[in-house]
Amino acid sequence: MAEVSLKNVEKVYPNTEKKKHGSKSNLKVTEEGVLAVQDFNLDIKDREFIVLVGPSGCGKSTTLRMVAGLEEISRGEIYIGDKLVNDIPPKDRDIAMVFQSYALYPHMTVRGNMEFPLKLHKVPKEEIKKRVEQAAEILGITEYLDRKPKALSGGQRQRVAIGRAIVREPKVLLMDEPLSNLDAKLRNQMRAEIIKLRQRINTTFIYVTHDQTEAMTLGDRIVVMKDGVIQQVGTPQEVFDHPRNQFVAGFIGVPQMNFYDAELIRRPDGVYIVDVNGFRVELSEEKQKNLREQGVEPQQVTLGIRPEHVELAPKQSAGLKGRIEVAEMMGSAVHLHVNACGKEGIIIVQTVDLPGIELSELSIGNEISFIFSGKLVHLFGKDGHNLEF
Amino acid sequence: MRKQARRQGRLWSIVMTIISVIYMYPIFMVLMNSLKVESAISTGTAFDLPTEETFAGLANYENAIGTQGFLASLFYTVFITVTSVCAILIFCSMFAWYITRVHTKVTKALYLLCAFSMVVPFQMVMFTLSSMADTLKLNTPWVLWVIYLGFGAGLAVFMFCGFMKSVPVDIEEASMIDGCNPLQTYFHIVLPLLRPTMISVAILEAMWIWNDYLLPTLILDINKYRTISMLIQFFRGSYGRVEMGPMMACIMLAILPIIIIYLIGQKYIIKGVVAGAVKG
Repeated sequence: MAEVSLKNVEKVYPNTEKKKHGSKSNLKVTEEGVLAVQDFNLDIKDREFIVLVGPSGCGKSTTLRMVAGLEEISRGEIYIGDKLVNDIPPKDRDIAMVFQSYALYPHMTVRGNMEFPLKLHKVPKEEIKKRVEQAAEILGITEYLDRKPKALSGGQRQRVAIGRAIVREPKVLLMDEPLSNLDAKLRNQMRAEIIKLRQRINTTFIYVTHDQTEAMTLGDRIVVMKDGVIQQVGTPQEVFDHPRNQFVAGFIGVPQMNFYDAELIRRPDGVYIVDVNGFRVELSEEKQKNLREQGVEPQQVTLGIRPEHVELAPKQSAGLKGRIEVAEMMGSAVHLHVNACGKEGIIIVQTVDLPGIELSELSIGNEISFIFSGKLVHLFGKDGHNLEF
Repeated sequence: MRKQARRQGRLWSIVMTIISVIYMYPIFMVLMNSLKVESAISTGTAFDLPTEETFAGLANYENAIGTQGFLASLFYTVFITVTSVCAILIFCSMFAWYITRVHTKVTKALYLLCAFSMVVPFQMVMFTLSSMADTLKLNTPWVLWVIYLGFGAGLAVFMFCGFMKSVPVDIEEASMIDGCNPLQTYFHIVLPLLRPTMISVAILEAMWIWNDYLLPTLILDINKYRTISMLIQFFRGSYGRVEMGPMMACIMLAILPIIIIYLIGQKYIIKGVVAGAVKG
C-alpha cells in the first residue's frame, strides 16, 4: 500500500528510434528525440485503482514501465510512498507487475513461479508456503500448483501471473494489459475476478489497457492518454458524462459517440441553442450556465451525442433525417448505422418500446428521423476542446 | 500421385543408403584393420576382412593403450575439451545475452565480429597465434581453453543469439521486478532457458576440440603434452615405419567417446541449430 506520485514525468526516445515510434502515432518530435510521454502529472491515492487508457502508442505502457523502473525517466520525478524512486532499480521499488504475455518462467512449476519472488526476498519457508497457498486459493489455481506453465490454458496462466504478483504483497501492483491475450468470454470472467481480487487485497493498482470497457469497469479513476499526453483524469462516470475534449468523448463509450457539424446560436435573451442541419435544440440549464461562465460566443461547433442518448422521432415529426445503412440486431436493441448530415452515426434503439414505428421499418435503405435532448449533447470547439470547460 | 511419391521416396532411400555407406566405410575399415595383425595391413591387404590367421583380437588395443602413454593423452584431451567447452558455454552465453538485449553500435559490431570470425580459416592465423601463445604462456593444456574459447566463440555466440532473440524479454523484466539482479537473472532465468542450445553448442564444440589436431600440435610442446589426435601420429616410427595396428586401434578409441556423446545428444543439435529461426 502506498501513494504513487508522478511529477512532470517525461520520456524521450533518442532520435535513433524516431522511425520506430514516429510511424506509430503523432508523438511530438524534438531535437532531443521522440517525446513518448509528456509532462505527466498524477497523484495516485493509497489503495486506489487507477487505469491508464488510450489507443496503442499513446505512452500508457511506457508510463507504467517508468513506474516499474524498466524504463528510464528522461525528466520529472516518481514517488512511491515518500520515496523518490527515479534511480532505484525495479527490485528495490517494492512493486509487482503482471505482463500482457504472462511472462511466467517456463522452466518452473506454478508453485516455483509463485515462490520465486519470495525466495529472492528471503522470506521464511513456512511463510512462503502459506502465502503461495493462500494466493492459489484466492485465484482458484491450487490444483495446478505442480504443473508447468505450458500445461495451462491462457486464463490459468494469467491467474498464475497475478498470483506471482500478489504473493509479494507489494506496495503497488502494476498490470500491463493483462487481459489482452484472452478471448472475449475469458476476458469478461477475468475482469470480474480482478474486481473481486481488488476487494480482497489492500494495495494500490495501476492498470494499463486500451479497452475502454475494462477502464470503465475496473478503475476508481481513469487516465485517458493520447500521443503521450494526459487528456483527462476522472472517475469513469465523470469521463463518460463530461469528456474534456472530442478525443475523450470519442474514445470512451461503446459504440462511439456520434459527431455532427452544428452551429451554436445565442438568442437575444441569452439562451444558447444548437442548430444541426435545421434541427434546433435548446441546451439544458446546466449547460447554459457553463457556457455563459466560459463566455462562449456563437460559433461553428462539433456536436457530440452518444448512441444511447438518441431517440427515434415519431413519423412526420421534427428531427434530424437520416438513411439507415446498416442495421445490427442485438436482441434487446437494434444498432442502426444512420447516414445523416453527410456523416455516419449510430443510434441504439430498444426493441421493446418503439415510438410508433414497426421494427420492420428499421431496415437498410429506409429514412428515419431522430431527436436528442439538449441535456445530453456535448459541444466541442474547432480545437476539439469541450466548450463547457 | 501417391504412387509417384512412393517411388520417389524409395529412390531417395537408395541414394541416401549409398551415401551413408560411403561415409561409414572408412570407419568400418579402420575398425576392421584394428583387429588384424600388423603384417596383414598393407596397401594390398588393407581392404581384406580378418581371417583366422590375420585376426589379432584386442592385441592392438592393448598395445595402443600400453606403449605410448594413451592414458595421459586421454587425460589431457578430456581436460582440454571439458575446460574449453565449459568456458565457451559460460562466457559465450553471457555475451550473447548481453548483445541481444543491449542495442548499441558496439554490440552490433561485436556480433558481426563474432559472425566474421566463423569464416576466417584457422590456417590464416595459426603461425601468429602459436608465437603469441608462447609469449603469453598459453602453451600448456591447463590454459589452452583460452585459445579454444576464442575460436569457439563465433559459432557459440551465433547460436546463442539466435535462441535469445526468441526468448521474450518480458520474462527477464519480470525477474528483475521479482527481485533479481542481472547475475541472478542470468543464472535463475536465462541459463535454464538456454539449456537446449547449451547442449547442442556443447556437443558441436566438444566434437571439434576433441578431434582437433592442428591447434594443439602447433601450440603444445609435443614432447611433454600429447592429445589423442597428436598421439596417433606417434605410431609413425622412424624411417617411415608405421605401426598400423595400434594406430588404427588408437583411432577407434579416439572416436568412440565422441560418437557416443553425439548419439545421445543429436536431437538437441537439431533443436539448437534451428532455434530462433522461426517464431514459436
